[in-house]
Amino acid sequence: MSTLAINTVDRLDRPSAYYVGKNKRRSRYNDDDEPEREDPMAKLKDATTLYVGNLSFYTTEEQIHELFSKCGEIKRLVMGLDRFNKTPCGFCFVEYYTHQDALDCLKYIGGTKLDERIIRTDLDPGFEEGRQYGRGKSGGQVRDEYREEYDPGRGGYGRAYDEQRQREEEQYGEGR
Amino acid sequence: MADYDRRNNGHRGGGGGRKRRYRDDEDYDRRPQRRRYEEPLFVQIRRQLLTIAESAARRVEDDVVSIAKTVAENYEDEELRNTMINISLDLVLEQPMKIPFVAAVALFAYKNKPELGTELINKTATILQKNIESGSWREVKLLVRFLGCLQPLFVGNGIFPLLEEFFARAVDLQTTSSEDLLGLELVKIILLTIPYIMSSPATGFETLASSLLEKTEIIASTPHNLVDLVKTFGEKEDETTSGASFISVLQNQLQGEASNQWELKCLSRPWRDARQSDSEDQQPFEVVTKIAFPEIKVPSPVPFGPRALFPEVFLSVYANQEVDTVPPISDITSSLLRDAMVDTLNNLDFNRVATAKYLIDVDCYYTRDTFVKRATPFDRMRDMAGENKAWKPEDVAVDAVFSQLFQLPTPEHKLVYYHSVLTECCKIAPAAIAPSLGRAIRFLYNSLETMDLELSSRFLDWFAHHLSNFGFTWKWSEWVDDLELSAVHPRLAFINGALDKEIRLSFAQRIKGTLPEPYLPLITEDKEKDTPDFKYSSEATPYAKQGQELMQLIRKKATDDELQPVLAAIEEQAQGQGVEEPKIPSTDALVTSICFVGSKSLSHVLSCIERNKDRLLAIGAASEKARLQIITSVMEYWADQPGIAINIVDKLLNYTIISPLSVLEWALTEHVDAGAILAKSHIYEMVFATVGKVTNRMRQIVAARSQKTLYEPQLSVLEETLNRERTEMQNLFKFIEDSLVPVASGSNDELMERGDGSGESPEHAMLRQWGRRWLRVFRRKALVEEAFIAAALLNATPVGTQAPAGEETADTAADGDIAIPDAGANADVDVDA
Repeated sequence: MSTLAINTVDRLDRPSAYYVGKNKRRSRYNDDDEPEREDPMAKLKDATTLYVGNLSFYTTEEQIHELFSKCGEIKRLVMGLDRFNKTPCGFCFVEYYTHQDALDCLKYIGGTKLDERIIRTDLDPGFEEGRQYGRGKSGGQVRDEYREEYDPGRGGYGRAYDEQRQREEEQYGEGR
Repeated sequence: MADYDRRNNGHRGGGGGRKRRYRDDEDYDRRPQRRRYEEPLFVQIRRQLLTIAESAARRVEDDVVSIAKTVAENYEDEELRNTMINISLDLVLEQPMKIPFVAAVALFAYKNKPELGTELINKTATILQKNIESGSWREVKLLVRFLGCLQPLFVGNGIFPLLEEFFARAVDLQTTSSEDLLGLELVKIILLTIPYIMSSPATGFETLASSLLEKTEIIASTPHNLVDLVKTFGEKEDETTSGASFISVLQNQLQGEASNQWELKCLSRPWRDARQSDSEDQQPFEVVTKIAFPEIKVPSPVPFGPRALFPEVFLSVYANQEVDTVPPISDITSSLLRDAMVDTLNNLDFNRVATAKYLIDVDCYYTRDTFVKRATPFDRMRDMAGENKAWKPEDVAVDAVFSQLFQLPTPEHKLVYYHSVLTECCKIAPAAIAPSLGRAIRFLYNSLETMDLELSSRFLDWFAHHLSNFGFTWKWSEWVDDLELSAVHPRLAFINGALDKEIRLSFAQRIKGTLPEPYLPLITEDKEKDTPDFKYSSEATPYAKQGQELMQLIRKKATDDELQPVLAAIEEQAQGQGVEEPKIPSTDALVTSICFVGSKSLSHVLSCIERNKDRLLAIGAASEKARLQIITSVMEYWADQPGIAINIVDKLLNYTIISPLSVLEWALTEHVDAGAILAKSHIYEMVFATVGKVTNRMRQIVAARSQKTLYEPQLSVLEETLNRERTEMQNLFKFIEDSLVPVASGSNDELMERGDGSGESPEHAMLRQWGRRWLRVFRRKALVEEAFIAAALLNATPVGTQAPAGEETADTAADGDIAIPDAGANADVDVDA
């Protein structure tokens, strides 16, 4: 590896813009009360956990294990579940034993396919109880509420739209 | 992929909030802003340098001249100067294919403004010195290559005295030990510098180069005794595909080049067509005032670096084709391309997308006649065979990646990195790369019988993973004939293993849909079942009643006390029937029930194991036979989905419910089946992983033991742990050796009894071959691990060393306990089973 501080091409083992942005936003609100808040990036310094997104609802733990163990032994795998049905809702947390394995996973597995879908990986400060549940209104992930495209691997249309469409269909019948 | 790309490129506001989940994120909501300012000069130069030679649409010579001119003319702009110097060195270290172009910029920078050139050379020398001292020999090689390209700037013999000094150190190392590898590394650096000196504008160094080559010959051409260990093909002597050490190949090629006036026809000479202005006639590159070569100190002896050294062999998956698509091993082009591409590949592991791009762009960085046009079909290559020799860029790129994927004993990065680069190559240029991969796959498939087993296992793993990224499409029809082969034939074993791996990444029904009809019987109905049947559901199974009872209890999360009577009942009944080891049927019922109740998912089975951990631990400790039964029950329950079975075995190892030795006993003595088990890829995977667990732990202990600031009493404690574990590891390897030798030599009892008793059927020969291939892998592993331990302990603090007063001791647990992976944490999130 380069002995110099800069690289000639971007690194894939950095936290995503999503993580950085989310924390920037938070810090703006919190600045006044907590002037000495710790740097959110510091929490990722030794992170061994990854958030994995864009999974199909049908992808199993075994499949995830099979792919992700190519980057090192997996310490813990937590499936993301629908808050109400307790069924997989398309994300998970993968925890490795070492920080390096997690970084390698970002570099070598993030953005490749699992179960024929391109998956997304992001460095995560660590799993906490409760985070395995979707935060969307209907129990799944927020992104699946308003999705306009049909995605057979993730329950069809976005749920909010789906509801609306069903309502419209019913009302159409009533109107006649 | 969209958000992924966005992160890579660092584009901001590109999609304008196209993705809803970013809508509340201010950064992405902003509309793209028009640039309202002049781009600072250093930004311009930075970009121009970083992308040098990348575009076929620009003359690289013009960029070379313009960068050098701009920076020289603005010499007082410190930021600009530093940018140029730092980016140049970054490129040298990270993208070695660009070295001749960066060097050309440096040549003109010196010509225009000697102070600027001198500053760059001095900075290079500083970094080179540091890398020599830390033993980072690849970086040394690249920096020396860069300086070699600048030879015309130096007075006298320039870089040659430094090379001579490297040679002197190599001789010292070689005379001290015949096992030496560091000396060979130094010779490799010398050999890989010479072509770049000779392709620089410097003239009159032919004699020096030749005399240096004469000296290196003896070292380079003596085969190292470890070469056999790392050869791609264990069983055949085939120098054209792999076998010759890289360094001896290189030596021969250079001698050939020396007698050919150093034509070095693939290397770019971007200084040659560079004109400072339109009106200027082309002139040979010359400078008025030369400078002295910077002073570099080479310590004696030279230090070992962080990377373990092994001999390298030259592998090409495109050797022996009817038409050459990659330069033959006799051509210096093969080594120059391979060396620069492999360094690019290994240096840029942090961005596989960029790596894939640079590999595919290989034709930008070498002379125009080196390659045929991209995506030239193989058939077209055949038609052109008579014409000027030029190579297929896709094949050269793919070949370089495979050379690393199949590097023994281990490549620099995790195997999955090389998988991912091949995936990206395919994504960037599917039409060009896919046929090249197809030919590589055919070559490897046809070599399965002779290939080192560790490598055929890597091939299998890559193949299935690669297909999983591309809709599982492969022309299975071309291997249909091989379905008739014996189940222990390496090809049919490969097909079975590959399909199993595909299923693991996907599911049986999906994979079935990708196969031609003749393959369908390979995917049995049982493989399509999510939950394998519970054998105790059938009344015909002995102990059916108790088995069902036990399963219900486990499902209800009953306590150990509640299980006890049922297990006792089984044992009692067994005893009554004269079963020698009554714990076997009771263990079978328990473990099979755990597997069945936990069949829903990995976390289910883990929490089941966790709940019954104490009982399982007690079984394993009490009876060796029962411990083996634990493994048998798991393997039998999941017989049709062996991936899950070996995963559970792996977790049982972490819980220390079973021991590494019990796994080996189970596979290599209890179930060896005259050697037939050795043909099963999941068994190899399980044994390899088990041994890997032991050696990893060993390496962690060695790392702890060789910490610099370690003193008594911890020293003695760690030393003791180390010696104990080392003996255990050696016993493990000895066990493998003792179990496999009879299979390999054909003296295994079961093997003798097979067939007509003569032991001479083709199947016998195959089984013996499996034995030999397994032996080769684990003998190598044993040697590599011992070498690692010996090297690490060479500089470790001797036992008995007391801490100097006032110095803090290393933060190591005094009991020598090292944190190793254990599955305990797996059960943190207890899923409701």
